[in-house]
Amino acid sequence: MTAPAIAHSSLKTSLARYSRSWGLWLLLLVAPVGARFWIPDENDRTVVISVNDHAPVMNSAMLGVTLGIVITTLLLPVAFIYLRSNATRRQPWQVEEVTAGSRVAIALGRFAADCAVLGAVLAAMTLAGWFIAWLVTPLESIDLGAITLGLWLIAAPSLMGVAAIRILFDSFPATRGPLGEVLYFVIWMASIIAPLGGAERNATFAGNMTDFAGFVRPLTYDLPPGRENDFTIGAGAASAPGRIDLDVMSGLLSEGYVASRFAWAAIAALVAALAGLAYRPHRPRKERRRTGPLARLLAPGAPPAAQRDAPPAGAASLPLLGLAWAEARLIAEGRVWLLLAALAAAAGPFVDYRLVASPAALLLLIFGLTAHAGRSEQPGLLALTRTMPYSPMLRRAAFVAAGLGWSLLLALPAIVTHGTRPLILALATGGAVSLAAILLGAWTRSAFAPRLVLLIAWYMYLSAA
Amino acid sequence: MTELALEGVGKRYRRKAVLIAVTHRFAPGLTLLTGPSGAGKSTLLRLVATAEKPSAGTIAWDGAPLSAARPALRRTLGYAPQAVDLPEDLTAREFAMHIAALKGLDLAAADRQFGAITDRIGLHADINNRISTFSGGMRRRLIFAQAMLGSPRLLALDEPTAELDRETASKLGELILERAAEAIVIMTTHLADDLAPRAAAVLRVEDGRVSSVR
Repeated sequence: MTAPAIAHSSLKTSLARYSRSWGLWLLLLVAPVGARFWIPDENDRTVVISVNDHAPVMNSAMLGVTLGIVITTLLLPVAFIYLRSNATRRQPWQVEEVTAGSRVAIALGRFAADCAVLGAVLAAMTLAGWFIAWLVTPLESIDLGAITLGLWLIAAPSLMGVAAIRILFDSFPATRGPLGEVLYFVIWMASIIAPLGGAERNATFAGNMTDFAGFVRPLTYDLPPGRENDFTIGAGAASAPGRIDLDVMSGLLSEGYVASRFAWAAIAALVAALAGLAYRPHRPRKERRRTGPLARLLAPGAPPAAQRDAPPAGAASLPLLGLAWAEARLIAEGRVWLLLAALAAAAGPFVDYRLVASPAALLLLIFGLTAHAGRSEQPGLLALTRTMPYSPMLRRAAFVAAGLGWSLLLALPAIVTHGTRPLILALATGGAVSLAAILLGAWTRSAFAPRLVLLIAWYMYLSAA
Repeated sequence: MTELALEGVGKRYRRKAVLIAVTHRFAPGLTLLTGPSGAGKSTLLRLVATAEKPSAGTIAWDGAPLSAARPALRRTLGYAPQAVDLPEDLTAREFAMHIAALKGLDLAAADRQFGAITDRIGLHADINNRISTFSGGMRRRLIFAQAMLGSPRLLALDEPTAELDRETASKLGELILERAAEAIVIMTTHLADDLAPRAAAVLRVEDGRVSSVR
């Protein structure tokens, strides 16, 4: 039995697991339906790409390019969330890690399965593109090949890159947890910002290699010199009347672009293989060593003395308050969180609340809330809590109340000194983040999806300040 | 002859010593590890199963230190930990064949062997069902069955009979003893086990120290 057999087994079992999860079928349904809303109609509603403030003239190539760009810019985090929180996140590592099986073969097998699933989504999007060209946004001449080429050439290498990052992050103890989401968020932002600096460079292979998302060359190839950065990606982007006619097909086939997309695909496969080589086993929690005075300060400390003759617990006088209090304590897990919370709250009166203290408090809340939401929505624990007097739904309400309470507490010094604005901000952000964390946590049964979604929302909140 | 030798092996988690200076030579046959919960039995099993590395001392397989012999040992190891993140959406058979591939076994032969093992432990009727439908006892038997695949020369079993009724535990016991005729079988149990009279050796683990009972 050789490495190819191990890769084949990993691919086969991963595909079987994907095909049996409802998430894949939901994605295959939602992606093509969503595609309809990324293509501007005759009234330029639902515009997501504009060039020089104009919506582009829609032809077959532009339709494919638009779909591809939306995937590689706005929707890559969705792909990452899907891969990371889907059915294959649970692996029997306790047994796998003591076999002689090649980790490179396992990684490549799983990478291939992830690519196949994302490829299926792209295929569904391609069909949707053909359908949109035919019925929704009738084009003068429909070129199915141009739609397909634009979509796949832009989106496929980027999606392979996301699959590779997922495999890479699963290879290290540190990035299997929240650090992985934070790092992905940084990589995603960099993948969008970095190529903008290269927009004015000549069309070369090296210039295109700075553009992981692959959106710059097709959009800017036809623009006059000095106007290469005049494009916007986002809902309602076009503000000027009339449309701009762009030859995106020439951009797609320009010097070095196709080669750069294939190079990115090859790099993705290489990263997946390297992830197998660099794989580090899971660590038992108890093995993580912390020493030094800071570690002693942050250690949980000795438990209180046991009272052997303690009577059985009676009913609480305010049980719902107790439930919210318990949720609040679990959100603020560990002394590090409490220490940072105290710092964020204390800074409130001395800094610009909207610009500094509020984002800092929000970031802290995101980590505390999503971690607890992921923990408390595990199927085994849910089955247990369903047998208790207060239903899981009531506990979720207590979670939101506790999140709101923490948000207000972190803003309290600023409210005392600055008045109502911090109060309103704390209520709005705390309520929204708590609600989003528990809804996404309950839906995906993990902390991955809420954490990444809320990190993106946090960045938007920070940027808007 | 197959031999697994531990020389002054210790394991620490943070500042707590879980195993202290364990020296023992395991030969083919069944060795039971007994002792109270938290005594260090599972830690010792994880060390011999290469799932963790010792903090002190050396482990040798067939005379070679584990640092060099780890790949060779893993090719002939069967390990059944207490808990495994089982892939709920796979069938028991699919899961077992995936493990067989990772062990480098011939899949057709492994499939037949898996059928034979599961038939003897009362799981065969369910091997085409998804693991998500399995009870605790069925999961325990599945973890045991995957460890038995191939002809492991070292079989490390962590409480394999927990959650099983007496009759099923007895069936597992027969398979374990059959394997112990050729291989080193190390098995933890915190209860006085029916297998004790037929074990080649019984070790007691308490407060991180290992002593020979028999």
